[in-house]
Amino acid sequence: MSALQRALSISRKDVESYYAKPPLITWGLLFPVVLLLAVYLKDQQGYLAVCPGILAMTLLFGNTSMAAIVVTFEKRTGTLDRLLLAPLSMRTIVLGKALSAAAYGVCTALVLAVILGAALGMPLARPWAFVLGLALGAGIFSLFGLAAAVLVREVFEAMTLLNFFRFPLLFVSGVFMPLDTMPGWIYPVALASPLTHVVELLRWGLFGQSALGGPWIPFAACAAYLVAAWLLAVRLFQRRLIQT
Amino acid sequence: MSELNSIQVQVAGLSKRYGRVLALDGVSFSLGRGEILGYLGPNGAGKTTTINVLCGLLARDAGTVQVCGVDVAADPVFVKSRIGVVNDTSNLYPELSCRRNLEYLGELYGLARATRRQRAEELLGMFDLETRAGDRFGTLSRGLQRRLTIAAALIHRPEVVFLDEPTVGLDVPSAKSLRELIRQIHAQGATVLLTTHNLAEAEALCTRVAILVRGRILAEGSVNDIRSRFGKVQSLSVAFSGPVSEETLLASCPAVRAAAISDGAWTLDAANLHAALSQLVALADRLELTVIELSTSGASLEDAFLSILQQQDHAGAKG
Repeated sequence: MSALQRALSISRKDVESYYAKPPLITWGLLFPVVLLLAVYLKDQQGYLAVCPGILAMTLLFGNTSMAAIVVTFEKRTGTLDRLLLAPLSMRTIVLGKALSAAAYGVCTALVLAVILGAALGMPLARPWAFVLGLALGAGIFSLFGLAAAVLVREVFEAMTLLNFFRFPLLFVSGVFMPLDTMPGWIYPVALASPLTHVVELLRWGLFGQSALGGPWIPFAACAAYLVAAWLLAVRLFQRRLIQT
Repeated sequence: MSELNSIQVQVAGLSKRYGRVLALDGVSFSLGRGEILGYLGPNGAGKTTTINVLCGLLARDAGTVQVCGVDVAADPVFVKSRIGVVNDTSNLYPELSCRRNLEYLGELYGLARATRRQRAEELLGMFDLETRAGDRFGTLSRGLQRRLTIAAALIHRPEVVFLDEPTVGLDVPSAKSLRELIRQIHAQGATVLLTTHNLAEAEALCTRVAILVRGRILAEGSVNDIRSRFGKVQSLSVAFSGPVSEETLLASCPAVRAAAISDGAWTLDAANLHAALSQLVALADRLELTVIELSTSGASLEDAFLSILQQQDHAGAKG
């Protein structure tokens, strides 16, 4: 069996054990649905503008949280040692864990998109860009969640650590407010945020337009963030899980 | 087979420090193919630290560690494919069934689907878990969880098995049946490193033992060797065909330190077992009596272990 097949085995097991459980699926859907419904009731014309942001926010919170919870839980129960004792490289383990978390994020966001499309008429101008945005966003945020999980011992510590990074991102990344309406000094900060680029790629997928002009800048930025998050997660797994 | 090939685990000068605490201090031992080595020591001696280094979960500070001829730090993936490890906790996936746990681990070890299914069924049979195969691991009793955890470590037919306190916390029947399974694993050709607090267990299972105290191996050898080198208490039970007084017995047998009689049989504490035996036979000849019953019992491994700890404490106090 190849390393990829073994990573897929890890993912399949995680989906079976954690991500396919009804409470997690409803947890992933309930918050964004309610939030979008509230925005829709307030402004039935303007709600579409925040759809990409809320979908990206769903990925940010869902993926970072779930990846971190699963790894922290497995550290506590000792089941992560099972993986570390198997003849797998750390890259295979990280890939397996990230794929399952990312699959959860993509599926949740797709279900949400289908609901929004069918019930509230959300458009889908460039399906490929939309799915690519979901996949890249889910991958980046899952890897950040994994990286946070190995730095701490308890789930609440992981959440606290992640919140230091998630809430500022929400503020600067054009989730609720288009980038071009934000104060000028925020713009460079926004460009450095991975969430901004996920939002803009999703915006391109839904409406065929983006505050960054087209899909290529957000795509390139997301790809770069994915590589950086991958390197960070693998390095932290190697350094923190094999004790020195 | 050359001696080099027959060595499955070779540890030399292994040291590991946690901050200011020296957990392992120049530990050296080897484990030959097909052996069961009992790795014994009090709490905090460094047993689990050694296992964690051997299986690649912990980096060492100094020394060399080879498992199946390969340095674990140089090629951990190779070493992990050759070993099976049972931690001191039963750490399988509580939400998966027994069968799925085994098959999943088979996937991680790269077994083909048919092979892992067959091996899972084989192990469920061997560990008497066939009727619980579909039950979730989390619903099993502690004893059954331990059995499945050991079974899981064998899914890929490892050459070397590390068992860290396999029977700890189990009731007597569960512990006994697990010991029987460990014998079976050994009989099937695996080399076993067993850490345990249970010295009777080590005595019953191990071909050799190493005694680790405060990160250093203080004694290593066969169980008999350790008992005879470090066990101070050696007792004899003897019955004569006629009466013998305690004074006569002690005067005629200087090698006997103390004697007590019960139901016509003497229980003797011997300073030197061989000398005491010949003196007792000479006494019987002189009194024209016959020795109608004679049995010896040397020091137990527990006696030897306690003696080693006492020696270490004395050395520590002097130091």
